[in-house]
Amino acid sequence: MATSKAPARSQILQRRETLVSYLFLLPALFFFVGFVLTPMFMGLVTSFTDSSFANAATGSKFVFLDNYIRLFKDPIFRKSAWNTLVIVVVSVPAVTAFSLWVGSAIYKMKSGVRSFFRCVFYLPVVTGSVAVVVVWKWMFDKYNGLFNYVIRAFGGEGLPWTESQTMALWCIILILFTTSIGQPIVLYVSALGNVDSSLVEAAQVDGATDLQVFWKIKWPSIMPTTLYVAVITTINSFQCFALIQLLTSGGPNYSTSTIMYYLYEIAFRTTKEFGYADAMGVILALVIALFSALQFKVMNGGTTE
Amino acid sequence: MKRFFALALALCMTFALAACGSTSTPASSGESTDGVTEITWWAFPTFGVDSGYEQELADAFMAQHNDIKVNVEIIDFTSGADALTSAITAGTAPDILFDAPGRIIEYGNAGNLVALDDMIEELKSDLASESLLETCMGADGSYYMYPISSSPFYMGLNKEMLEEADALQYVNLEGDRIWTTENFVKMCEALRDAGVCQTPGIVYCGGQGGDQGTRALVNNLYSSSIVGEDGSWTVDANGVKALELLKTMYDSKALDAGFSMAAADELQQFQQETCAMTFCWGTSNANSYASEDYTQISVPFPSDDGVPELEYLVNGFCVFDNGDDAKTAASKEFIKFICDDAEWGPKSVVQTGAFPVRASYGNLYEGNEEMSLLASWTQYYGPYYNTKEGFAAMRPLWFNMLQQVFNGTPAQEAADAFNTGANA
Repeated sequence: MATSKAPARSQILQRRETLVSYLFLLPALFFFVGFVLTPMFMGLVTSFTDSSFANAATGSKFVFLDNYIRLFKDPIFRKSAWNTLVIVVVSVPAVTAFSLWVGSAIYKMKSGVRSFFRCVFYLPVVTGSVAVVVVWKWMFDKYNGLFNYVIRAFGGEGLPWTESQTMALWCIILILFTTSIGQPIVLYVSALGNVDSSLVEAAQVDGATDLQVFWKIKWPSIMPTTLYVAVITTINSFQCFALIQLLTSGGPNYSTSTIMYYLYEIAFRTTKEFGYADAMGVILALVIALFSALQFKVMNGGTTE
Repeated sequence: MKRFFALALALCMTFALAACGSTSTPASSGESTDGVTEITWWAFPTFGVDSGYEQELADAFMAQHNDIKVNVEIIDFTSGADALTSAITAGTAPDILFDAPGRIIEYGNAGNLVALDDMIEELKSDLASESLLETCMGADGSYYMYPISSSPFYMGLNKEMLEEADALQYVNLEGDRIWTTENFVKMCEALRDAGVCQTPGIVYCGGQGGDQGTRALVNNLYSSSIVGEDGSWTVDANGVKALELLKTMYDSKALDAGFSMAAADELQQFQQETCAMTFCWGTSNANSYASEDYTQISVPFPSDDGVPELEYLVNGFCVFDNGDDAKTAASKEFIKFICDDAEWGPKSVVQTGAFPVRASYGNLYEGNEEMSLLASWTQYYGPYYNTKEGFAAMRPLWFNMLQQVFNGTPAQEAADAFNTGANA
């Protein structure tokens, strides 16, 4: 008898614990479902309709894959997709490598100095993007900007910066870079500080060079951090929007337009076709998911096994 | 068991969300239990930034109408349009909006507004210009905007810079100041040669903000029109000729192109004396970008035949159809108070810095030479196209076309792409 009662009581306790766990999850779940899952689902459904501002009152109809087919025929979307890809391909390795380099350089420093550098690099992250972009916009100004002022002071001719089709995207990438490195540096400093020192010392005793210590001991140890940095930077780069809107509005001649910016333009500025804009959103989400999965695969899910 | 809880939670969530949705339905009733109808007014800062005039109006109105409460919310020109789109699609639109015909008629055509035909009918006999009616009319022939004032867009020049460059001789400062394309080119070249500023003028093309200025410039240079005889959006042969002229001037540095600039950026450069002219001058901008360091001269856009066709702004109100007759009636009453009240009507017109649409208001700027000059330019008002179908989609194509031309795309090719895209 006693043996049969014990598992029953255990099951009841387990149920109670599960119930309590779910209840604790409930507030977060409410917001997650209400503000993440529901809009995602609505966006997916809308992407198969001709929903727009013009027919919001009269109702929209299902157009199946028309929006998706139109996307791939739209030269501005193709240009925006290419620009987005360039931003991701350039900024993700640059941010990851630079953050790792800075992290490696400062994690051994005294705590005060380390904190100073962390503050310096983290400052653009905590500063509002509007303030950051306004300052950059002033620096890039063709007539009275800081950069051209310095160039002219040395006898050169001012550059067109954001006014040029070839330079504008690189200006965007530069700003994105400065606002993206803060968090990875802080993470790398922390991850490198947590590398098992006994392993490092053992390798050094065995005659390993600094480079060997880094690649054989530290790099595998910080792999989960690298994976996180790569995935987060990829997502942020794909979703780059505010600084483009504030700095170039996608120009000149769509040379800085990205999928996120074009989506916004279609949904809010020009034709206000919500269905078409949602189709872009779905494609962007799929591409981000694909890139993230690829990064997980390439980095073995953040392990060295 | 976990599945059971998960299912139960999912159901809870669904009910919770459904509950959220249902609570908004009864809120559409505007009349509260104490018999007061509450209305919300969203206003772009046409009465001036941080002027507080909107609240003054609301207070004065509420003092006369105890049964109506007006909530004032000021929206800005940068994010206001997006906020409106979101609010309308989410069913949380305000009751009244103070804006211009471009957006208002778009909302009316989409079925979001209450027709104001009864109000316009009363106004018709007192309108200063019959053409103002077309700015208020939707595609279905109903009137969706109740206008209060209008003013032209024109060019601004830096007098001292022009004098220094001996370029003032090309500008007509007599009569209504109309001038020719030929003199405009000579003026720009004189400014360039004298080197009194970094660039004579900037044809901004980095966004759609204030793009009516660049359209007026292009269309006046060789008397073209953005709307063809068949009603389509068009850059015709004369428009192409104007684009070619601007490209030539850009290449010779007689003008510059602002690839990442909208009108506000160009106006700042004008204010800071980086350039000697602005293509987006108007009564409102003349106040916002005033400078005591130099004299600003207002001139109409230059044209080959010396007869300009000016773009113009109409300020007005609309009422959103929020499904509540009490709110609609209260909103109309408030709009009438702002525009037609014997005391507050003329005062409101002056506050917009523009000219009254009501002929009976007469000259509200007696003794002001500049305003009298601008008032005389109403005779040069061109056709109003901001309410035409496809206007919103045309605007990004316009500034991108300018970018392409300045970047070396043949003007005809860029114009063809514009004509195709804008009429798609």
